[in-house]
Amino acid sequence: MIGSLGLLVGVFLLLILMAVATKGWMGARQLQEPPSGPIEGEVTEPCPKEFVSMVFSRSDWEFVHGLKSRGVERLFEQERKKVALVWIRQTSALVRKAVSEHAFAARQSKNLDFLKEINILAQFLILITSCWILTIAIQTAGPVWLSGLASYAQRLSQQVSNLQGAFQAGVLANANEKGAM
Amino acid sequence: MLGQLIWWSSITLEIVLLARGLYNRLAYRFPIFYSYIAFVLLQDITRFWTFHWKYDLYKPVYWVTEFMGLAVGSLIVFEIYKVSLAVFPGAARMARNALTAVFLIALVKGLLDASAGWLPASAAVEIELALRTVQAIAILALVALFLLYSIPFGRNLRGILLGYGLFVGERVICLTFVSLETHNFWFYAYSASYIGALSLWIGYLWSYQPNPQPTAGGKNLDDEYQRIATATQRWLQGMRGYFRRAVRS
Repeated sequence: MIGSLGLLVGVFLLLILMAVATKGWMGARQLQEPPSGPIEGEVTEPCPKEFVSMVFSRSDWEFVHGLKSRGVERLFEQERKKVALVWIRQTSALVRKAVSEHAFAARQSKNLDFLKEINILAQFLILITSCWILTIAIQTAGPVWLSGLASYAQRLSQQVSNLQGAFQAGVLANANEKGAM
Repeated sequence: MLGQLIWWSSITLEIVLLARGLYNRLAYRFPIFYSYIAFVLLQDITRFWTFHWKYDLYKPVYWVTEFMGLAVGSLIVFEIYKVSLAVFPGAARMARNALTAVFLIALVKGLLDASAGWLPASAAVEIELALRTVQAIAILALVALFLLYSIPFGRNLRGILLGYGLFVGERVICLTFVSLETHNFWFYAYSASYIGALSLWIGYLWSYQPNPQPTAGGKNLDDEYQRIATATQRWLQGMRGYFRRAVRS
């Protein structure tokens, strides 16, 4: 057990330190003082909502599919994929920028709140991991398919919660019947 | 023959590093690190002498000095933490909490393993592997924090961190495969991992280069921290919602 954990940790440590050495991370750079964190009301989305909703929407795809031209379909898929990937890259860059601006203030603060920092780190990791997963999914399947999958997952989770509600209602009704007897 | 070469190379490189550290006065800036190098030089000489003239004592001397070296080496991690985060109290608090968590988890795991019982034949190697793994996790946690908070490192301190981190990483990998009965590749890799670290240290610590100081920025960051942290937290939550809405649209 400790052998495999040790091996994993050792390999990961070597890889990260090699990256530090070759990419010059942690170099003697001086950070420019960034604006102090995201301000409420500031533009926080990389693209307008209407634009983003169209990237993953099936309506355009259905229209193009209706034209019955394989060439147009292929072109549409390629273009949509490129736009979706640019959106992911922009979103990821925005998240990184926000967290690095926060880190600039946090690293010198004497009143740092450990739990708040862990929460921010966890949210950052979830967002960055989501970006990676979305990038892989878009590259392998395309944004339109991804939207279909998300809708399917949403319908499925809705069905599960409906079932759960019905089950709980049944259990309660059962308990009431037994109580009455 | 290869073993002798590794031995003599280590001793020569340690003397060069120590002499250079005294000459450019880096030994006074990083006293724990140079004390560790002096300790390892003494350790090598003691082992060499025992191996050639008192072989029956070699095994106990080897393991006693090995564990002492491990303990003194852990102080290097402390020195890296202390020097690099001296002007970053927020990041230092995060590092303290992260290291405490790592050591508590390791302690609990160690107590659980001890209750299951060690195998006497391979106990020393297993204990060293377990301790080196804890050291490696502690270094990983520190490096992750340095990267997350963009802590700027001078060339000298970066060299100490890289050399010791690579040495610990290599040791952990070698200890997973090494067999002390047969002198295979991993046995020599285990001994030679230190030469790589010494060469790196000589390169990075050849001359003194000051650690970069952060710009004060003219703002009271203590007062602003709570506001910034809350805004960042809210903003990240908003981004998660935005992400979900976009994909489900």
